[in-house]
Amino acid sequence: MTRFIRKAAAIVLAIAFMAAPALALDRAAIVAQACGGPGSMTEAAAALTAGVATASKDDAAWAATLSGAAIERTLKCGSPPVIAAPAGARDAATLAPATSADGTSPLLSLKNRPLFETARAAATLFSGVTQGERGAALSALERRAGSLPPELFEKAADAETDVGLKERILGVGQAALLNSPDVSKRISAIERISVSADRRSLTQVAGLKTDPAYATDQAFKAAVDAGVASIERRLQISNALNTLYNGLSFASILFMASAGLAIIFGLMGVINLAQGEFIMIGAYVTYAVQEVLRAAAPDLLDWYLIVAIPIVFLATAGVGVFLEATLVRRLYTRPLMTLLATWAVSLLIVNLVRVGVGTQNLQFVTPSWMSGGHLLMGDFIVTWNRLFAIVFAAATLVLTWVVLKRTPLGLNIRAVTQNRAMAGCLGIATRRVDMMAFGLGSGLAGLAGLALCPIYNVNPQMGSNFIVDSFMVVVLGGVGTLAGTVIASLGVGQINVLIEPLYGAVAAKVIVLLMIIAFLQWRPDGLFAVKGRRK
Amino acid sequence: MSKFDRRSFLMTTAGLAAGAALPLAAPPLIRSARAAGPVKLGCLFSSSGTMANLEGRMNFVAKMAADEINAAGGVNGSTIEVVTSDPASDWPLYAQIGRQMLAETKVAALFGCWTSVSRKSVLPVVEQNDGLLFYPLHFEGDENSKNVVYVNSPPASSVLPAVDYLMSPDGVEAKRFFMIGSDYVWPRTINKQLKGYWKSKGIEESAWKEEYVPFSFSNFQTIVNQIRAFADAPGGKCVVVLTVVGSSIPDFMREFANQGISSSDVPVLGLDMVEADLEGLDTAKMVGHLNCWAYLQQAKGDANVKFLKSWSDYVTKTGAPFKKDVAIDPMVSTYDAVHLWAMAAKKAGSFDVPEVRKAFDGLSFDCPSGYKIGMTAENNYVSRGVFIGSVNETQGFDVLWQSPDTPKPVPMSQY
Repeated sequence: MTRFIRKAAAIVLAIAFMAAPALALDRAAIVAQACGGPGSMTEAAAALTAGVATASKDDAAWAATLSGAAIERTLKCGSPPVIAAPAGARDAATLAPATSADGTSPLLSLKNRPLFETARAAATLFSGVTQGERGAALSALERRAGSLPPELFEKAADAETDVGLKERILGVGQAALLNSPDVSKRISAIERISVSADRRSLTQVAGLKTDPAYATDQAFKAAVDAGVASIERRLQISNALNTLYNGLSFASILFMASAGLAIIFGLMGVINLAQGEFIMIGAYVTYAVQEVLRAAAPDLLDWYLIVAIPIVFLATAGVGVFLEATLVRRLYTRPLMTLLATWAVSLLIVNLVRVGVGTQNLQFVTPSWMSGGHLLMGDFIVTWNRLFAIVFAAATLVLTWVVLKRTPLGLNIRAVTQNRAMAGCLGIATRRVDMMAFGLGSGLAGLAGLALCPIYNVNPQMGSNFIVDSFMVVVLGGVGTLAGTVIASLGVGQINVLIEPLYGAVAAKVIVLLMIIAFLQWRPDGLFAVKGRRK
Repeated sequence: MSKFDRRSFLMTTAGLAAGAALPLAAPPLIRSARAAGPVKLGCLFSSSGTMANLEGRMNFVAKMAADEINAAGGVNGSTIEVVTSDPASDWPLYAQIGRQMLAETKVAALFGCWTSVSRKSVLPVVEQNDGLLFYPLHFEGDENSKNVVYVNSPPASSVLPAVDYLMSPDGVEAKRFFMIGSDYVWPRTINKQLKGYWKSKGIEESAWKEEYVPFSFSNFQTIVNQIRAFADAPGGKCVVVLTVVGSSIPDFMREFANQGISSSDVPVLGLDMVEADLEGLDTAKMVGHLNCWAYLQQAKGDANVKFLKSWSDYVTKTGAPFKKDVAIDPMVSTYDAVHLWAMAAKKAGSFDVPEVRKAFDGLSFDCPSGYKIGMTAENNYVSRGVFIGSVNETQGFDVLWQSPDTPKPVPMSQY
């Protein structure tokens, strides 16, 4: 093994320091290596990374194509090796059109994958056509800057035409000099790294405390200490932000799942155990919308979540109204029967979906605007799908609030909630209000299903995961108040997230449940009890 | 047309009554006829609850294997009839249905269970009734019942080779490990053995971290944050050993990818991860994560081509609600199990459990994985090959590494 490492190192050094300007890459040899076993593939990646700095632009472009083909498995190692593409195969060494596209594609081992990714990024830094491409390549290299030859960044900065990007390249190049023999360069590298406040930089800088220069060089010691302190300070902030964001995103899911229940349970005292299945129906309707869009208007496919909003709401509200009119209405005086009946309905719906659609998880297209996340600061990453859920929950909250407080329907709902008999005496059609409220509650559950599509798995059983949590939130918040539901979901979400890293996810669930029980002992009506007479 | 009168009414009624009485008298007759009729095999796989998507397809595979054997003339002059059930992912229900099947339906053998907790609940039932349970999942080992046939591998011949690969220079020279599992016997035992194994290799206790989540847990945000923090701490390359099960697997993988961690940063070794878990995920960002099983769909060989073809035909024919182009290890193990049972019954010339058990010694079968799998007189374990798979863009696994032969299974772990 050591012999192999020495050999690989020798090759890297040989190619990096042979010092001929515009040294051409030995394309045929590298392709042969890339088609060899895992060991020689390592050498090929090393040769590409080391070679691009001194290679011609043409060679760099070829290096980017070849490493990309190795990563995406379009490199076919026949004789001659070719790169398969939809437009037609090309020879792997010359990129000239090739006739055959046979041969097996070598599979990158776990060790070789990052090496080829680095090689592709390094090559793209030189050969990328647009500034965006080169910028993305630089971001990919930034994390592995220390393992790259420093002159790679110097050469890239020389070749760069865009002023802003040139600055960035120089900056990354500076950070790569952490182990340079020149102490002043090391200090500027430390300063440079300390600007980014993630844990990896902390590990890097704090690791220098064992460096011999730390004990001997006063300026170096000061720089390291200042760097560690500054990163630690910002790490604390980013950790706090992370916790807040996680809590908020969990709370948004809890709120979405329980908002409908708060209205149904609050208004009618109906324990609707089929609420989770309304969430599931909402998700399945979203899926149907996606499939229709895929067939009818593929251009709109990226926006299916938005298109689906009114459809999902109306469809689940319709199912809710139907359920109310056929079943729940007849059982208002018998709460226990409602509980059993809605449970039966939930089993019926689950099994209908299982028989009709199947038990597998549904495949949702992840819209381009919703995959991945944005690294805001240090280790604080905002994932788009969670942000969508948070924004969606906030919008739902506002709309529900407007409906309840600013519309005649809302006025009626509130009147019936507070005093059903008196509302009836004043001429409000309480039965009709019940039906509308049940529809509204079901529609909200359907929207929860829509919001969950990009986050959770959608299958017939998904609803049962939410029913316990949403009852917990509704009871804690106080039956029949939207504000209570909001505060309760925020509280439960945040407390869960705070406890989880300390005692684990299992204990977090238990502790939250115990806290809720204790709280309900103190305030049996929950956070916000509706003042009024309930029968 | 004759007139409808009293006599014809009486005659008709008498005839109807006789017709209705006949089935009442029939059961003893039918029962005796059945002794020479089809032999029954029972399936304990859930088609509802959290395991439905994974376990459900095994009912169909068992039937498919039985059809194959029946088409070739059956076993000992009988055809095989597969009896299915739905234990609804409810662990005690597996035991209850298992007992019914052994005592009332009189099945010759049981095939079933995915999670170890369901196997542990069926274990006393098969031991009391001296039945046979063919268990198709790789599992935590440390169990050696004469009433269970362990068709898949214990950790020594599945998990440890994969971890060894990760720790080797060909892998990523992993030095630190984040274990995350569902909170039950399989993940806890696997992780206990892994810790013992790492200790024996001289790895410090600070080099690993262990977290457990409840069943069907889905909110992995905080845990992925913890993994990021752990991976960025000093001490060498970190890998995640994932032992969550069921719907938690896709939820974890999605959050992991969304937080921007790729397999070249922190590879995940998903011990229970199969193709079916990746359905519905954008795997382009998950390429390179690993699993380890005794079969992968891309295994080479004619036996695999034949198996995939039969499964695809079977799904088309029966309209089973599963993908016809996806085959996972436990399906193949169930398929192997039915064939191994039939071979043993044929060799024994009987369906009696003690006779069949005696016939296990020296059985071998051409598994779709391409290995010749075999059993010995020593225990009821089946020796299988080892595959390490790597997630690809098309929601499948490429074969990254496979063992040269079938290692001898070691039931009791030394760690």
